[in-house]
This record gives sequence, structure tokens and C-alpha cells, in this order.
Amino acid sequence: MHVGLEHYLLVSAALFALGLLGVILRRNLLVLYMGLELMLNAANLALVAFSRFQNNIQGQVMVFFIITVAAAEVSVGLALIVALYRKRQTAHVEDLTSLKF
Amino acid sequence: MNLSLLGPELVLIGLGLALLLADLVVPPDRRRYLGGAAAVLALALALYVLRGPGLAGEPAYAFGDRFVVDGLSGFFKAIFLTAGAVVLVLAVDWAHSQQQAVTEYFVLILFALAGMMLAASANDFTVMYVALELVTVTFYVLTSYQRNRVASLEAGVKYLILGALSSAFLVYGIALCYGASGTMHFREIAAKSAELADHRLFQLGMLMVFGGLAFKVALFPFQVWAPDVYEGSPAPTTAFLAIGSKGAGVVLLVRLFGNVAPELALKWEPLLMGVAGISILYGSLCAIPQRSLKRLLGYSSIANGGFVLIGIATASKAGSAAVLFYLAGYLFTVLAAFLVISMVVQRLETDDISALSGLHHRAPLLAAALALAMISLAGVPPLAGFFGKFLVLKALVDQGASFPAWYALAGVAIVGVVISFWYYFGVVRAMYWPESNGDLTTLPVPPLIQVALAVCVAGILALGLFPGTVWDAAVAAVAGLRL
Repeated sequence: MHVGLEHYLLVSAALFALGLLGVILRRNLLVLYMGLELMLNAANLALVAFSRFQNNIQGQVMVFFIITVAAAEVSVGLALIVALYRKRQTAHVEDLTSLKF
Repeated sequence: MNLSLLGPELVLIGLGLALLLADLVVPPDRRRYLGGAAAVLALALALYVLRGPGLAGEPAYAFGDRFVVDGLSGFFKAIFLTAGAVVLVLAVDWAHSQQQAVTEYFVLILFALAGMMLAASANDFTVMYVALELVTVTFYVLTSYQRNRVASLEAGVKYLILGALSSAFLVYGIALCYGASGTMHFREIAAKSAELADHRLFQLGMLMVFGGLAFKVALFPFQVWAPDVYEGSPAPTTAFLAIGSKGAGVVLLVRLFGNVAPELALKWEPLLMGVAGISILYGSLCAIPQRSLKRLLGYSSIANGGFVLIGIATASKAGSAAVLFYLAGYLFTVLAAFLVISMVVQRLETDDISALSGLHHRAPLLAAALALAMISLAGVPPLAGFFGKFLVLKALVDQGASFPAWYALAGVAIVGVVISFWYYFGVVRAMYWPESNGDLTTLPVPPLIQVALAVCVAGILALGLFPGTVWDAAVAAVAGLRL
């Protein structure tokens, strides 16, 4: 079977949708954060596929930046979740209730 | 390549690194002065940017045209730097009451400021993404900086999850735009924007990019974070979120819809109008029952985001110039409000509106400045807020001849303004007509804060009484847009 651009894009769209579902449905902050990472990687896959099929390097350069920024984002994010856990002994979204009107 | 164009950004980042080093040798009780030094430098850079290259003449480019210095970027950089200077002054005072390390807080403000300035100059999707993430990731730390306060941590986690979600949409949108156009470069996309505007993939991509930017501006479907994060964050962070982070989203929206794909802005008029109208109504209506000042300004920030989007949605030069003027007015107004709120929160340890009762006896200067800021936000002439709203609505009505639904949007905006009178004047009433005569001891106001308040009040009055200079600058700044 010939694997074309549309196949890559379908996988990428499926990954993005899965990540989004994870963010919407899961209640644990860490699992939720994994869903977010999945969404970013879906975008990476789409960028690499477009880049490959258009013979254009810009998309792959963007992927490098996304990976780097995502690493920074994850380190800050995990530190934050750990700090919250220490304070509240919970990593569940339902327990984030101190800010309400 | 012309590195000198990046001068202000490089100076800010260098200063941030220098402060981190200086933190090692400066004794703890003197570390607050590092923030003061940073504020002075930010102000000096604002003056430099105002007379710098590109603002008056032709746009100048660096890094293969991926970084642009033009009127638009210059105008926004001046706004960001002024905001940064005032926020640093506020942070110096706030640091006084903190037990933890403070230098890092100043440094993060400087890095966020550099990110905003890079965003103003971005001429390429990659640069835009990295600049926005520099702002967002630093704000994750700035919002949750008070690690021993649960509210601050919660605000940080909420901002983290929703911010990461919006940047995932932004990145996927960029990937689709790249797939449709074959380039990340704004100028190359602009060259074929007429065909791209009918391309389904490009439309979907731009819709997701719009979503990512709407999060920054706190527009309707992406606004849920604003009230919680505004309430939980330390006051200087909230002030910087309200003007700086919002401004970074606005400058990119203006550039994308004004310069890169103006055809799309015309095509999406109903969408943008709808988002703007709902944001104004949602922000105004939800603000009414609020008792927390910071939360109230969070909702007010959603409504103000709606007004800004009206200017962008008109897809006209007059509308874009009105957006710039609006933000300049919003800068001074919101900073004045947060200077006062920060003082009140620190001295009284609550930001409930009822805590303001009798403030005009305890600190007449604070009460007067907050009252002026609220009246300006409500849009009473002749203050900065009035001219911002007036210019945006004027640009909107001017477009009405071509698209009658604009009149309906103008009606919605005016309803929003009328509703907002209710809660803005509620704050003024709480200060001047106290229900109970409680504690009437004088609240001390540090001289540095007095200076910053004086600057903000002068800005509110000057933009209201003599709007000409800033309006001319705004018109010149948008002259290069393809509208």
C-alpha cells in the first residue's frame, strides 16, 4: 500500500482528537497533561508530513522549536503540579475549588 | 542580518541574566532595588523605542525578514515597556511583603516582557509561536509565584492546563496553515492570501490560530481562565496579564488579520462580530455580582477584549488604529487600578469590594486614582477609556453602510457599556459612601507608588483631554497594513 500525505494527516488528526478527549474527560492533572502532550505531538506529525511531501524544510524546523518549548513547558508544568500536590495532597481537577464566586 | 534591530529585546534578556547573577552578591534586604533598576531601564527602553528605527519610516527587517520593526511593532513595544516598568515598580513594593526569593520574580517579568516584544515583531509563524510561548511559560510561574498560597497555586495550574490547551490549538493551526500555504513566512502567505482565503485547510488552520490568540486576549469561548487566574495571582502578575499578555495577543491578531490575510478578516466578519458581541455581554453581565476586585477586573478584561476585537473585525485602518488607541488608554487605566488594588490587598489582606469602605479618608490619593480608573473603564468623557470606546464604535458605524449587522453589534456594545456602569460605579460608591465607619487609620502610600500612580493618572487624563498625539501615532502605526 502506498502511504500518502492523507494517511499521515489522518493519524495526526486522530492523535489530536484523542489528546483533546483526554483533556476533556480525564480528571487527573497528570493524565490531562499527557493528553496535552499528545496534541502537541499530533501537530508535530502533521508538520513533518507536510514538510516531507512539499520538499520544504520550514516545517521540520518548526518541529524542533515545538519539541524544545514543550520540554520547557512540561518541566514548569510538572513542578507546578508537584507544588500543588504538596499543598493540597491532591492532583484532581474537582479539588481545585478555592477560586469560585 | 541586522542585529541592532533586536537591541531592546537583547538588552532586556541580558538585564534579566545580569539580575540573576547580581542576586548572588547583593544582600537580601537590598534585592528589591534590583527591581527598581530594571524598571528604570524598561522606561528608558520605552523612550528609545519611541524614537527608534522603523517607527516613522520604512519597516526594517532582520533574520531573513522573519523579524520586522515597523510602526505597529513600535507602538506595541512602547505599550509593553511602559507596562513592564510600572509592573516592576509594583513588584518592588509587593516584594516587601514576601518572605521568599524576589529577584526571580523581577527576572521573569523581564523575560515575559522580551517575549511580548518579540511577538510584536514576529513576521513568521515559528517566531510567533516561540515568542508567545516565552510569554505563556513565564506566566505559568508568575501566576503561581506565591507557593505557600493555595489560591495562587490553583490559579497557576488552571492557567497551565488552559494555556497548554490553547497553545496545542495554536500549533495545530500553524501546521495546517503551513500545509495549505507551504510556508511559515507571513510575507509569503500574504502574497497569496487572496487564493488562500478560499482554501478550506487554511481557513481551518487560521481558525485554530485565532483560538490560540483569543485565549491570550480572553475572548469568549477561551475566557474561562481569566476570572480565576486574575483573582488567584499576585497583583503585579494580574496587572501584567491584563495589559501585557492581552497586548501580545492583540498585536498578533492585528498583524494576522490586517497584514497577512485581510481577505479572511472580511470573510469572517460575522464570526468575529459574534465573538466580540458575546465577549462584551458575558464580561459585563458576569461582573455584576462579583465581590472580589481582581475577579471583577477579570470579567471586565473579557468585555474589554470584546471591544478590541470589534476594531479588528471592522477590517479597516480606522478600526485598527482605534484598537491601538484603546490599548494605550487601557494600559494607564488598568495599571492605575492594579496599583491601588495591590496596595489595598497588601495592607488590608483582602480584595473584597467592601474593604474599600472609607478609603477616601484613609488614603485619598488611592481612592481618587481608583475612582478615576473605574470612571475611565466605564467610558465616561473626557477620559482615556471614553475615547477608546468612541473610536472603536465610530469605526464600526462607519462600516455599517456595507454590512447592516454592524449596527446591531454597535447596539450590543452600547448595552455592554451601560451594564458596566453598574459595577464600575459600585466600586466608586464603596469607597466614597461607606455603609459602616470602621477602621479609619491612614494607609501609607510609598513614594515610588505615588510616582507610578501620578504617571498613570496623567496618562488617563492626557489621552482623554488631548487624544490627538496618540491618535496620530496610532494612525501612522497602522499605515502599513494591507486594509
